[in-house]
Amino acid sequence: MIRRPRVPAPEDFTAPSHSPLVTARLGLWLGVAFGLCFGTGLLSHYIQHPPGWFTWPTRPVNLYRVTQGVHVLSGVAAIPLLLAKLWSVYPRLFVRPPVRQPIRLSAHALERISVLVLVCAAFFELVTGLFNVAQSYPWGFFFPTAHYAVAWLVVGAMLLHVAVKLPVARAALSTPLRRRRAVQAATPGVDDRDSSERRAFLRTSAGVAGIAVLATAGVTVPWLRRVSPLAWRSASGPQGVPINRTAAAARIAVPPDWRLEIVWPGGRDSLSLADLAALPQRTAELPIACVEGWSASAHWTGVPVVALLRRAGAPTGRPVRVTSLETDGLYAASTLPAVHARDPLTLLALRINGEQLSPDHGYPCRLIAPSRPGVLQTKWVARLEVLR
Amino acid sequence: MRAVRLLLFVVGAAATAYGGSLLLPQLGTAMPWLIGGPVLHDVLVAPLVGLVGLALGRLVTNRFRRAWIVAGLMASATLLLIAVPLLWRPPSAPPNPGLPDRDYPLGLAVGLAVIWAAIAVVLVVAATVDRRVADRRTDRP
Ligand code: HEM
Repeated sequence: MIRRPRVPAPEDFTAPSHSPLVTARLGLWLGVAFGLCFGTGLLSHYIQHPPGWFTWPTRPVNLYRVTQGVHVLSGVAAIPLLLAKLWSVYPRLFVRPPVRQPIRLSAHALERISVLVLVCAAFFELVTGLFNVAQSYPWGFFFPTAHYAVAWLVVGAMLLHVAVKLPVARAALSTPLRRRRAVQAATPGVDDRDSSERRAFLRTSAGVAGIAVLATAGVTVPWLRRVSPLAWRSASGPQGVPINRTAAAARIAVPPDWRLEIVWPGGRDSLSLADLAALPQRTAELPIACVEGWSASAHWTGVPVVALLRRAGAPTGRPVRVTSLETDGLYAASTLPAVHARDPLTLLALRINGEQLSPDHGYPCRLIAPSRPGVLQTKWVARLEVLR
Repeated sequence: MRAVRLLLFVVGAAATAYGGSLLLPQLGTAMPWLIGGPVLHDVLVAPLVGLVGLALGRLVTNRFRRAWIVAGLMASATLLLIAVPLLWRPPSAPPNPGLPDRDYPLGLAVGLAVIWAAIAVVLVVAATVDRRVADRRTDRP
């Protein structure tokens, strides 16, 4: 049989995976995955750029590790779900526009544009996120701001999409996938077979999302470290913890007369490394939890920042600006919010897992605070400044 | 439902507009990466998936077996996609010592091997069970 090639029409696609019963369920799951990504991403954004009303707790110490782990892993799960959903609705790409009815045509055009924005933005977030965790940046834009902006596009376009599809989605979601026994027994046939194939497609999509998570979750879930073949980071590294930025990359040269400066409104103090080491030390198990979703715990030993401030006679319970020896770069300084600055687990660490910090880990001393992104755990600290 | 839809429209339009305004300064450089996904998908990936599906429908007529093969293909494609940034490292990437710190090609190969081995086991077991059932039926007087 020879058929003349032509542009397909939606009716040409007869596979059960194209049923709205499947589309709506995949849509729902995708909504959950992107919703989790957006919520946790927004938290991470606010932790790094806190608006005045925002506070982030210091306990549990693993809180940021968990939220950011959820962020990257729900993004990974969304990859197969997005592809499954797009396969499910692929026939609708070929819906012919109602050319002769201007009002319906413009509604159709608007809907198509909003769906295009949604698909563009969804792909963009997953692709750029995936490259970012591998620290690969084959593009010209600045990843954090672009990824943040497009996150709003995804969420906005998704809300518009749900507004348009709500009647179809509600009808589809309230129709059970499995036909009732009696009906099935009475009329076994095409419908029955379709229903089982629809369920198989959904089951497979969910299963593949699970496999994708398993294949990567080792970046942050300790007991999966050895299981996940595609975890972008292992937990190993010098002194037991991976390093994102080496002393060489940050062009750090520790001066021989290095002293820690402590500055507050109306006073200043400074301590040598020997002074710091002579103060009462505290050891705490805290994670380095990177924005890239990987995390690893270590035993850090050092002086609590709050104890250091008290000893110097500086006010406590205020935000503290922590400045590095690093002279340029985005992460040369960070601000500890007041809750973190007065937490006794917020350390100026001198040792990691029982050894002196290596230069790559921030020698002579580094900040390590509970429940914060790794980029804010400033290394090679030179100065603490109590803000007003 | 009308009120809910209206609310979704308003909030959705506002969030989209906000995202667009945030993206505006970088729109030029981001554009190829925005458009690339749907274009690649719609003109390349989806037709390919359709063709593979059609071919599979002809080659494998047992629906149970076909479902498992489809599952294997979907899982393999997903793992391959996730591995792309780990395997392909364009020179524009900044130096990052200690990363990638694993043998990803090996990990990917092992992952794919495990998936297909599991599917092979399922299919062999199912085929054996089928044969037993068929044998018992024909044995009956
Ligand atoms: C990132 C998220 C999502 C993407 C990229 C996406 C993509 C799409 C696309 C491209 C279509 C075809 C549009 C058309 O009819 O021309 C569609 C249809 C649809 N989507 Fe989504 N969607 C997403 C989330 C959702 C959510 C959260 C739901 C809510 C349950 C949903 C439910 C539906 C329904 C019911 C249809 C119509 C199916 C039909 O009429 O056959 N989608 N989606």
